[in-house]
Amino acid sequence: MLSVDSIDVFIKSSRILRNVSLKAGKGEVVCLIGRNGAGKTTTLRTIMGYLRPEKGSVSFQGEDITRKSTHEISRLGIGYAPEDSGIFPDLTTHENIEISTWTKTTEKSEEERIKLAYKVFPVLEGYKKRKGTQLSGGERKMLSIARALALDPELLILDEPFEGLAPTIVTEVARSIQDIIKMGPSIIISESNIYHVPDFTDTLYVIERGEIIFSGRPEEVAQEKGILKIIAGTA
Amino acid sequence: MVETIVNILFSGIFHASVLFLVAAGLQLVFGVQKIFNLACGSFYALGAYLGIVFVKYFLSVGGPPVLAILPLLAAGFVLAIIGPIIERGLLRFVYDRDVHFQLLLTFALLLMIEDIIKLIWGTYPLSTQGVYLAFGILDIFGASIPVYNLIVIVASIVIAGIMAHILSNTRFGRIIRATSDNNEMAQALGININNIYVKVFTLGTVLGTIGGALVIPSTAAMSEMAVDLIVLAFAVVVIGGLGSMKGAFVGALLVGILKSVSFAVYPELEMLLIYIIVIVVLVFKPQGLFGTAT
Repeated sequence: MLSVDSIDVFIKSSRILRNVSLKAGKGEVVCLIGRNGAGKTTTLRTIMGYLRPEKGSVSFQGEDITRKSTHEISRLGIGYAPEDSGIFPDLTTHENIEISTWTKTTEKSEEERIKLAYKVFPVLEGYKKRKGTQLSGGERKMLSIARALALDPELLILDEPFEGLAPTIVTEVARSIQDIIKMGPSIIISESNIYHVPDFTDTLYVIERGEIIFSGRPEEVAQEKGILKIIAGTA
Repeated sequence: MVETIVNILFSGIFHASVLFLVAAGLQLVFGVQKIFNLACGSFYALGAYLGIVFVKYFLSVGGPPVLAILPLLAAGFVLAIIGPIIERGLLRFVYDRDVHFQLLLTFALLLMIEDIIKLIWGTYPLSTQGVYLAFGILDIFGASIPVYNLIVIVASIVIAGIMAHILSNTRFGRIIRATSDNNEMAQALGININNIYVKVFTLGTVLGTIGGALVIPSTAAMSEMAVDLIVLAFAVVVIGGLGSMKGAFVGALLVGILKSVSFAVYPELEMLLIYIIVIVVLVFKPQGLFGTAT
C-alpha cells in the first residue's frame, strides 16, 4: 500500500529526517509516535508531497509518488487531516466536506461520500451551515477527518488527531476512527502521547530527532524502557 | 446647488465603478495567489487602447455608435489571453519568493507594458471620438448626466453581482475561496492550484482590461494611464482592506467620490485628499476597513 524508503528530508538546509522508512499495508493501522519536533509532521508532509526528500522514495500502491504534486497524491487515494485541522474558515461545514467529493471520482457517489462523513461524525450534521470559524477545536478536528474521509481514500493520514482535545472528545474521535477502520482504508496516525496510541494500532513506529528508532507491535514497545523514556521526554 | 451635487455624485460613482473592477481583480489575485499585482494598471491601459482599436474598427464597418459597448467588452475579453501567459510565464516562478521581489517583478512588468504600448500606439493621446455622447445625456435634477456613465455603472454592478454569485454559489467559487483560505489544504483535497491560479489571474486580468475598455469613451488613452490607475487602485485597496471584495467596493466608492468632489472644488488637491485618507487608514486601521491582511 504505502512504502516510505530511507528518506532524508531537509528544510532550509537543516536535515529534519534521516533515513526514515515506514510501511503501511492494506487495511493496516500504523501509529507514528514521537515527541514534538521529532519529525512526525515532516514525515507525513513528505508523504503528501509538500516536501521533497533529498534521498529515498515514497511509493503508494506500487507507484512512485516521491516527485508527484500534492493534489495528484490526493487523487491517487490518500486523505490527509493535518495537525492544525486545516479547516477553510470562510466555508461552511458542509462546503468543507463536499469540496473533497469534487476532485476525485470513486465508485461511491458524491452524496454517498458526504452521507458517510456525517455518519461517522454525526455531531457535524447539526453544524452544516456553520462556518469553519464558528467551530470548536474538537469539531474542527472531526471536520478535518470527515473531509479527508469524503475523498473516499485508500489511505488516511491523521496528524495528531487527539492533540489539544478534551478527554471526552478524544474518546469520541477514537470511536469514529474505529468506525473508519471497519470501512477498510489503511490509516497512519501520528501521536506525541503514548497514552493516546489507539488500541487498534497494528504497527508502531517511534521517531526521535528525525530517525526511526523503533518499529514493531505496540505491546513490544512496552518492553523497551529506553524507548518509553525517550517518548516521555525523560531520557 | 442640487445639480452640482448630483453631477459630482454621478461622476464619482462612474469613477468608482471602473476603479472597483480593477481593484476587484487586484483583490482576487491577492486573495488567492498572495501577490499584489502592480501590473493590473497595465491591463487597464491595454484594455483602453485595444478598446479604441475595436471601436474604431466597429464604426468603420458601419457599426452604430450606440452599440460601441460591444466592441469595448470584446476588447476586454480578448485580452484575457495575456493572463495565462503572464501567470505561467512569470508569476509561477515567484510565489515562494519574498513579497518585495514580487512587487518589483510586477512593477517591472507594468513599465515594460507601458513601453510596449508606446511602441504600438505611440505617445499621443488616443480616443474613441464621439462615442461617449452618442448615447445621449440624461437630465437628473437639473444635472446633465451622460447616459454612457450610467451604462458603465450598471455594467459594473452586474459584473460585481456575477462575481459575488460565482464566489458564493458555484463550485469554482468555493474552490477559489478554499484556495484563498488555505492553499496547502486545498491541494491535499485534490485541487490543482496551478490550474486555479491561472483561472483566477485570468479573471483578475479581464476585470482590469474591461475596466480600461469601459472607461475609454469618457477620456483619452495615454501611455502613463497605467501608473495613474495603480496609484488610485492602491488607495482603494489600502482604504478597503487588502484581499476583501467588500473593501474593494467601499474603497472604490470612497476614492471615486472623493476624486470627484476634489476635482469640483480644488482640482489641485485631488491626490492630496485621497492620500490623506490613505495615511489616516494606514495609521489608525492598517488592515483597512474590511481587510484581513496587514
